[in-house]
Amino acid sequence: MSESSSLPRLNRNGHAKLAQLCLSGLPFTQVDLDSSRLAIIFYCLGTLDLLGVLGTKILEAQRARWRDWIWEQQTHGNYGAGFRPSPYMTAEDHNSEREYTEYDGPHLIMTYTALMSLAILRDDFAKLNRAGILTFIRLCQQDDGSFSALPNGGEADLRTTYCAFVICSLLGDWSGMDLERAVAYIRRCSSEEGGYGQTPDGEALGGTTYCALASLKLAPATSTSHWELHNTSAERLRTIRWLTANQSSSGGFCGRTNKIADACYCFWCGASLSMLDAGEFVDTAALASFLGQCQFKFGGIAKAPGERADPYHTYLSLAALALFQSPNTDESWRLPRLDPLWNATLETACWAREHIPATKSNS
Amino acid sequence: MSAESEDVPLYAERPEWSDVVPVPQYQGVDALAPINYSAEYQDATDYFRGIIRMGETSPRVLKLTRDIINMNPAHYSAWQYRYKTLIAIGADLTEELRQMDDFALTNMKTYQVWHHRRLLLTALRSRDAAAGELAFTARVLAADAKNYHTWSYRQWLLAHFNDEERLWAGERAWVEDLLEKDVRNNSAWHHRFFVVWSSGVREGDEDREAVGRRELAFAKEKIALAPNNPSAWNYLRGVLEHTKTPLSALTTFVQLYTVSSPSIAPEVMDLDNPVPTEGAQLPCVNALEFQADIYEQEGGTQITKAVEIWKSLANEYDTMRKKYWEYRIKEGLQTTHT
Ligand SMILES: [Zn+2]
Repeated sequence: MSESSSLPRLNRNGHAKLAQLCLSGLPFTQVDLDSSRLAIIFYCLGTLDLLGVLGTKILEAQRARWRDWIWEQQTHGNYGAGFRPSPYMTAEDHNSEREYTEYDGPHLIMTYTALMSLAILRDDFAKLNRAGILTFIRLCQQDDGSFSALPNGGEADLRTTYCAFVICSLLGDWSGMDLERAVAYIRRCSSEEGGYGQTPDGEALGGTTYCALASLKLAPATSTSHWELHNTSAERLRTIRWLTANQSSSGGFCGRTNKIADACYCFWCGASLSMLDAGEFVDTAALASFLGQCQFKFGGIAKAPGERADPYHTYLSLAALALFQSPNTDESWRLPRLDPLWNATLETACWAREHIPATKSNS
Repeated sequence: MSAESEDVPLYAERPEWSDVVPVPQYQGVDALAPINYSAEYQDATDYFRGIIRMGETSPRVLKLTRDIINMNPAHYSAWQYRYKTLIAIGADLTEELRQMDDFALTNMKTYQVWHHRRLLLTALRSRDAAAGELAFTARVLAADAKNYHTWSYRQWLLAHFNDEERLWAGERAWVEDLLEKDVRNNSAWHHRFFVVWSSGVREGDEDREAVGRRELAFAKEKIALAPNNPSAWNYLRGVLEHTKTPLSALTTFVQLYTVSSPSIAPEVMDLDNPVPTEGAQLPCVNALEFQADIYEQEGGTQITKAVEIWKSLANEYDTMRKKYWEYRIKEGLQTTHT
């Protein structure tokens, strides 16, 4: 009995439709996304990228309008430059020449999702305020090495650390952070179980373990490589042990020990294993079976079977499937290769790395 | 929309707000993922932008930001401005905490709820308030024992105020109670590790060897109750690693859980090695893994025994991780041959 006999088709059209529907508008019941709209947009665009419909079904004129809107969120002022989540705090009489006000400034996580979204849309990044973004990151860094989402407040945890590392890495310029301090903060989030908590002293969690490992891997080699230094064989094995144990009997991964499986952790834990060169330990057939069951009948993928789909779980499920192609699946499950470190298709990651740095490699 | 909220007039209709010039939201180019705002939300946020433009901090700002937060708990600018206003007008911050208790309970998955409390506690600099917050987080965790934000906040309170008598003293007993209710609650196990091992030495816990023995006994007792509980096994491993104790210290105990059928309970109870509860599913995967790790750590000819166990995990007891166990076999054999 093969897994494929019970495996449904991947509902590619349904998943693409959910992403397009969200991009065209959200109901008021989702008003809580107003202050993180660029993140939802990133998940929707990432979904369309993985499903290969951006170049075929979406007209260039449409993609250009999307890029224009994202660029409208880039803003500069007192704390440097970056992207705001949406114009939810922007006044009607605003014009882009003017500096932002105290409560309408850039947000670190949104700046990361904006850059990745623009790369998905193959922007040339001519309008990117690189120096302003470096200033912004510098002002977000706290004394303990962490980064707050806003220079004048907001959350600071491994998610914002990851965003700062990706941005500096993309810009090819680390002058915006105190790297040693940032790495020390990551180390303080390491938990006794082998994973990393969201903040120091926290319980090991799949998503923030991904953030920690990816950041260490992105860090430039200084006198010693942070990746080698902080991944001694014993520590690496401990992390691999915890990550593989998170694949539950349902085939999906849980984010913490003894929790039930959740589609998003198939990516966070799976990609973490890939970065540790341990991706082969994932049971890909069981993973596909679980995510197949998480498909919502009207399109999109939910966190667990029987739940409602959303852009976040849809994108991360597809990203997990792109990383871990199961041999027993039909052609509906074929997805382009994904880079676990950049959390983007190889082509998008390549575009970002080619177009975001200030000086192109060929100049 | 409830009948009550329909009776509330818009800010634009209230005479006491007529001095504020509302500032509508920027429209700009074709929006991506625009949200279909309700009239009430649009009205309140227009006045909020107006208030910010005026720079006003006053009691009515607290009402306005509360209205917005009620409609959108993730509106971080409203939270930010609310906090600024509370400080500016010298509001009673303890009263603010109480005002937000029910809101935190119903919106416990929203980050801002906890961040706000953290700011308030930092400003209050009061151990009484911190003790009150421990009680409050206990209430929230009674409703959702694994809420990550709540646990983070509690750990922050303990570390930030670091008061042995008022805060740390009751912590281990409290978390033990939670494990009594659900022995698989990993957040509670982790919290115990935090309290006992990774946050300094508690009063009365100065004899670290005795603490080590106590903690191993505790974990073993919990494993006996529910042998297939990775949280308890991970705790056990954490303690051994932290105290640099070799895994083989637990050989006798672990072997009670690697057998396929339970051994006959000894006439005299061995407190150091509690037997699996009746009807437990054996052998226990975590115990097999532990036993193989003991053999591997011992090295030499013991590796053959480890390999046998890894094979049984790969082919029979834990087939989902077949490739992982095969890797362990390969690595284990390599270390012995080099
Ligand atoms: Zn999830």
